[in-house]
Amino acid sequence: MKTLLAILLLATVSFAQQKTPPGPGAARPLNLPKITEKKLANGLTVVLAPLPNVPKVSAILTLRSATTASDRDAHPGIAQIAASVANEGTDTRTSKQIKEELRSIGGTLGLGSDADSTTMNASSLSEFSTRLFELMSDVAQHPSFPETEVKLAQENTIQQIRAGRADANFLVNERFQKAVFGNHPYSFVVPDEKSISALTRNDLRAFVTKYYIPNAAHLIVVGDIDVAKTFAEIEKAFSGWKSGIVPPEENPAVPTRDKRQIYFVNRPGSIQSAIYIGNVSIPRKNKDYFAIRTANTIYGGSFYSRLTKNIRETRGYTYSPFSSSNTLAKSGSFVAGAFVRNEVTGPTLLEIFYELDRMRVLPVTDEELNAAKEFSTGNFSIELASQFGLAGRINTIYTYDLDKNFINDFRPKIEGLTTADIQRVAAKYFDTYHAAIVIVGDWEKVKDQVTPFGDVTMYDAEGNVITR
Amino acid sequence: MRRLLVTGLTALMLLANVPNGFKDVHAKPLNIPVVYYKLPNGLKVVISEDHIAPVVEVAVYYNVGFRLEPKGRTGFAHLFEHMMFQGSANVKKFDHVKYVEANGGNTNGHTDFDYTNYYQTLPSNRVELGLWLESDRMRSLDISEENLKNQQAVVSEEVRVNVLNQPYQFFEWISLWENAFTNWNNSHNGYGELAEINAATIEDVRSFFKTYYAPNNAVLTIVGDVDVNEVKKMVEKHFANIPSQPAPPRADLTEPPQTKEKRVSQTDKLANLPALATGYHLPPQNSPDFPAMALLVQILQAGDSSRWYQRLVKEKELTLDLSGGLNYFGNEFDYTGPMIMTTRTTYKPGHTADEVIKEMDAVIADITSKGVTEKELADAKVQYRSNFYSQVESSFGKAHLLSALALFRDDPQQINSLLTPFENVTAAQVKAAAAKYLVATNRTVIDRVPEAKPQPKTGQ
Repeated sequence: MKTLLAILLLATVSFAQQKTPPGPGAARPLNLPKITEKKLANGLTVVLAPLPNVPKVSAILTLRSATTASDRDAHPGIAQIAASVANEGTDTRTSKQIKEELRSIGGTLGLGSDADSTTMNASSLSEFSTRLFELMSDVAQHPSFPETEVKLAQENTIQQIRAGRADANFLVNERFQKAVFGNHPYSFVVPDEKSISALTRNDLRAFVTKYYIPNAAHLIVVGDIDVAKTFAEIEKAFSGWKSGIVPPEENPAVPTRDKRQIYFVNRPGSIQSAIYIGNVSIPRKNKDYFAIRTANTIYGGSFYSRLTKNIRETRGYTYSPFSSSNTLAKSGSFVAGAFVRNEVTGPTLLEIFYELDRMRVLPVTDEELNAAKEFSTGNFSIELASQFGLAGRINTIYTYDLDKNFINDFRPKIEGLTTADIQRVAAKYFDTYHAAIVIVGDWEKVKDQVTPFGDVTMYDAEGNVITR
Repeated sequence: MRRLLVTGLTALMLLANVPNGFKDVHAKPLNIPVVYYKLPNGLKVVISEDHIAPVVEVAVYYNVGFRLEPKGRTGFAHLFEHMMFQGSANVKKFDHVKYVEANGGNTNGHTDFDYTNYYQTLPSNRVELGLWLESDRMRSLDISEENLKNQQAVVSEEVRVNVLNQPYQFFEWISLWENAFTNWNNSHNGYGELAEINAATIEDVRSFFKTYYAPNNAVLTIVGDVDVNEVKKMVEKHFANIPSQPAPPRADLTEPPQTKEKRVSQTDKLANLPALATGYHLPPQNSPDFPAMALLVQILQAGDSSRWYQRLVKEKELTLDLSGGLNYFGNEFDYTGPMIMTTRTTYKPGHTADEVIKEMDAVIADITSKGVTEKELADAKVQYRSNFYSQVESSFGKAHLLSALALFRDDPQQINSLLTPFENVTAAQVKAAAAKYLVATNRTVIDRVPEAKPQPKTGQ
């Protein structure tokens, strides 16, 4: 069957070509970063790690009280809008002044909010770190939410969400979060137009006063820094930030699913079905974290994964099959997915489920597990070699209150896993029996392939239930 | 397809010119060590040591991109990139990925206008594995009919997921290039028409491999925690005996000068909001105008302090976003043929493309009459330096730039002096560049508006 290229046959005649892969050289030193933790009098935790790979500095300021759940009943979506407008003006700087100052220090500064926090990511040339910290501090403490900026953000957010509703990626993710997390705050993706329009400048100022507080925040700084000097700069910039009362955590029940169900978002004209299949899994601190992470690597979380070998390299159904384990403070989700041409929607569902059930019923091979361990530990080192990679890793330690030795313990924790561990967590959390099946596609084109897999609830792109 | 950060210049800077007091601050110059040589078979080799982390990048760049694919075979250069993961004499289909991942690394490839690259990031003690894998497929690619068919299906799904099933369908690349350029090599759809992707044969694969995938048409770059002398021996062992091939014919990439504005209107079946894309032909990279033009692009549209962003999104509240740059997929250094400056913006319903164009033109007119400020220019240069550092921070980013400089300029040492032409740019040169290149007759404009859609019935 195989056709060798003629030219290459010639090439191999006269020269020896090594037939087996060369083995590794002697292990190189890991150079794990030295991490220093300090605390300001106002309660702000400051974590510093030198990584002088380029003359830049990268910082993450995490506000742990400002989550999508914060003030959710009165003002749904307020954390998201506050994050998007906070850098559009402070008591002493206009939006334009902030952007121009960033430009002059080779800087970036942006905020975003998610299920567990609001984060400010910022960077600049290291020679201008003092000015970067001053700007970050100003935006965290004194966002002024100018009337014109709030109004513009409201209008533009509404339009951006409308634009997003044309995109199958946006729709499949939104419906999946709602299917898996139900009424839990983790189901939030974007606010509705009414909630956005109702927000006022005063709501936003009150929100920030209450939730952007240093005693529920941490600042991670990585880069070309001198720890003592950089800490002094940070102390100067942030010590005037007044601490507040940490709001009580909202702690609604973690959802569970009681049946398999199809959530179909009808997008007439689609030439592909966007498929997400998944379920509730574990919170970040659960002891099964490393086992699920590794099961995910073997299933669909790496390129050489079972799902990719099956529905891409063998069957040619899709370009980018994937799976992902997302663990948050109070719960988490596991999802497997693919975008496939309409004609193979049903066969793809069959194979995704087959591969999930295979992980649950049979142990993975030693070869697969060993490869997954190498993949995880090697790529972990690669991640730590970049400033934001390292800062992001440290950030999760503080956001999720993990063991401070997480980075050093990563390798032994991964290496200690057995094939039985993988099968046990797959059986428990790759829960196909109660799975949410989310599909964005053209219902008329694919309905006969979809209905054998479960009951269907149908939605339009705006999220309304459609009666069929 | 992968997007790269726009990059720019190096250290040292023009700090003496800066009027606002930064002159006391001394930028740290980067000094990236570069070893560069050629094997007798013509393979260019670049090695750069960096011991900050136990990581190495092994990358091979071939001097062929989608401009050079055969007529009737749009998308073939990219399809061929997929073929390179389908097996060689000693590495079975997809086992390239297996070997890299099971050794703690990651791997991918990318097809661009003028190059195709293959790369792996690995723990640095596995550098020889990366070299062996790349040498095996450079020497002995082995493709079956079955594997070709499989990847034709995969690439068809890639085009569906990234183009055909998307609102806007990548119009700021595919449609803009089809309209802005007249020479087929430059203008055709590089992602490919599905029918042409699926018409490719094993003979096409063989011929393309023989013509373009020879050592004398490639650069091998190794960056990271390795010893130069050890790596040189490994390179010799695995690559020296791969035979060279006759130099491939160079296609004619020349473009006739554009003499009048091109305007195109399109409708979109999936999009909910209208969008606009513009493309201006750029001077060639060796033109004395190029550095000024690159800084002008930065001033006009890089980030939310830029002139166009401020005007369109903030002051006039006409549009939602602004994206684009000097090279749609890459930077100033990783292409060779004719290029356009791309801009894309989604505008608000109730407005027209003409209103958006009028405001963009007003910004240009302001620059052509009053010029840019010294402060703006100084900031643009600082931003360039910062972007450059971000690019070379990762071993991949550094390998990318070194490879492009070796491939297109035969001089990767330039990585340490890339800034020089840009740091010398004056405000007067920026003003002159705006007047010369940002004229209507030099541009293509595409207005893409949603097709009228029936309202869905809703209930609950």
